[in-house]
Amino acid sequence: MKAEYHKKLQIAARQTILIHRADTLVRIILRTIVASLKVKHAGIFIYDKVKDEYVVKVSRGHSGIKVPAGFIKTRKDSPLIRYFTDKSIDFPKEHILWPKICRRIKSYKTKKDIKIKKFLEALKFELSLYEAKACIPGFFRKDLVGVLFLGEKRNKKSFGEEELRFLSVLASDVVMALKNAWLIEDLNRQLALNKRLLFQTVAALASSIEAKDKYTIGHTERVANYCLAIAYVLRKRGKIEKWEKFLENLKIAALFHDIGKIGIPESILNKEMALSDEEKKIIQNHPLIGANILNHIEEFKEALEGVRYHHEKYDGTGYPFHLKGRKIPLIASIIALADTFDAMVTDRPYRRAVSQDKAIEEIKKAKGIQFAPFVVDAFLNIYHSKGNLWELSQQTGRQLLLNPDKLF
Amino acid sequence: MAMEKKKVLIVDDESEIVDFLGRFLQRLGITAIKANSGEEALKKYSQEHPDFIFLDIQMPDKDGITILKEIRKADSAVKVFMITGKDDKDLQAKAKKYGALDYITKPLDLSELTVKINNYIL
Repeated sequence: MKAEYHKKLQIAARQTILIHRADTLVRIILRTIVASLKVKHAGIFIYDKVKDEYVVKVSRGHSGIKVPAGFIKTRKDSPLIRYFTDKSIDFPKEHILWPKICRRIKSYKTKKDIKIKKFLEALKFELSLYEAKACIPGFFRKDLVGVLFLGEKRNKKSFGEEELRFLSVLASDVVMALKNAWLIEDLNRQLALNKRLLFQTVAALASSIEAKDKYTIGHTERVANYCLAIAYVLRKRGKIEKWEKFLENLKIAALFHDIGKIGIPESILNKEMALSDEEKKIIQNHPLIGANILNHIEEFKEALEGVRYHHEKYDGTGYPFHLKGRKIPLIASIIALADTFDAMVTDRPYRRAVSQDKAIEEIKKAKGIQFAPFVVDAFLNIYHSKGNLWELSQQTGRQLLLNPDKLF
Repeated sequence: MAMEKKKVLIVDDESEIVDFLGRFLQRLGITAIKANSGEEALKKYSQEHPDFIFLDIQMPDKDGITILKEIRKADSAVKVFMITGKDDKDLQAKAKKYGALDYITKPLDLSELTVKINNYIL
């Protein structure tokens, strides 16, 4: 019987390595404890960082005697927690056993013991609340991470030394698993936070161009929204590899596509008459200026291509590099179409907006000439399913850039 | 003189909680009656006439506030403790407005609960 019990515990311990979710592991360990030691119930108080108290997170046993998970907490200054954490309470810290506590209480007879006697009585009372007969602490270095508590054994016998040693091993396994899980949680949280910060910074920086060129107000975000919509369709059609990375780069490139206009004089940007050849040359520099600005950021290497080539045309007549066909990176092809469409349907210094339907007609005509055919197809697909593209570009605004999944 | 045992009605859609609280209160010398839904709570209430009630504020069939109102219509004396899921100040204020004596927030501290029961009930 004893060999069997060791085996079960070993299996539980081995699962520590295999199981990534801490709560699953804790559940398995408690199940093993209840089955092997034949206790009526078992549970574990786990330290809750947010609440700064200990909460029963996992428990096993029959309904009634089992402490429902998430239903019970105990404070940091409760007798149970203090027994393990308070240095002035001078008892062996490896476990609490009900019969030992009862014996100790009886052994204190003199007045000078009153304080410690009172503490033990309070501890006994707390144990009775959970019907706990044994408690085993789980420490990480000096921090009490959790307290395992066990109910009475079905045969009412007390816990043996060997059993208690194994319980200590399990308790430290639980602690390690929890610590790992918390570490991963923290890292993921930090990662998500950094990403949010990045996109908010990108969006803020990108909007700086709007201060200079009044016709681009809202343009950047609308273009980004169209780009994301096109990308989602292309992804469904299997045209995009490494989706996550692509999406990130596309968001950044779309927001930054016109950042180079910062280097163009306002007199040219806001000119209401036709531009001279000289002026055209200057304005056609903006993809390069933008790429040079972003070149300072190592992580933006791929996004940078979207900025640098977003005025290239499929037939090679675009600027500044006259790239042709598939030589134009996909990221730039998507931005080129979104950018042109938005420019058409909004007022510009030199002309009024055209209707959406008219703009769509123009896009169709330019398929395979100005734009990559499959990008045009994807855009038309959105137009046919959504109807109103303006609404799409507006509906979620900045939010969409942070949670593009909301779009579909 | 032997005091008559106090009677409590425990209402929660999670039977584990009802069973646990029931056993807990019984160990304090209180008779526990259990209900797992709002409908069952109202039925047991009119049959058993409990001295006090632990009432879950959120249940699938009828929420705790509605039950509280219905009970208050019939009886203004019964002491009602609401069990709330989180620190929802609005809901707690509402519960007080409709005559709940107090509320307990999950996860709850059994030592504190024992003090409350001693003060209010025993």
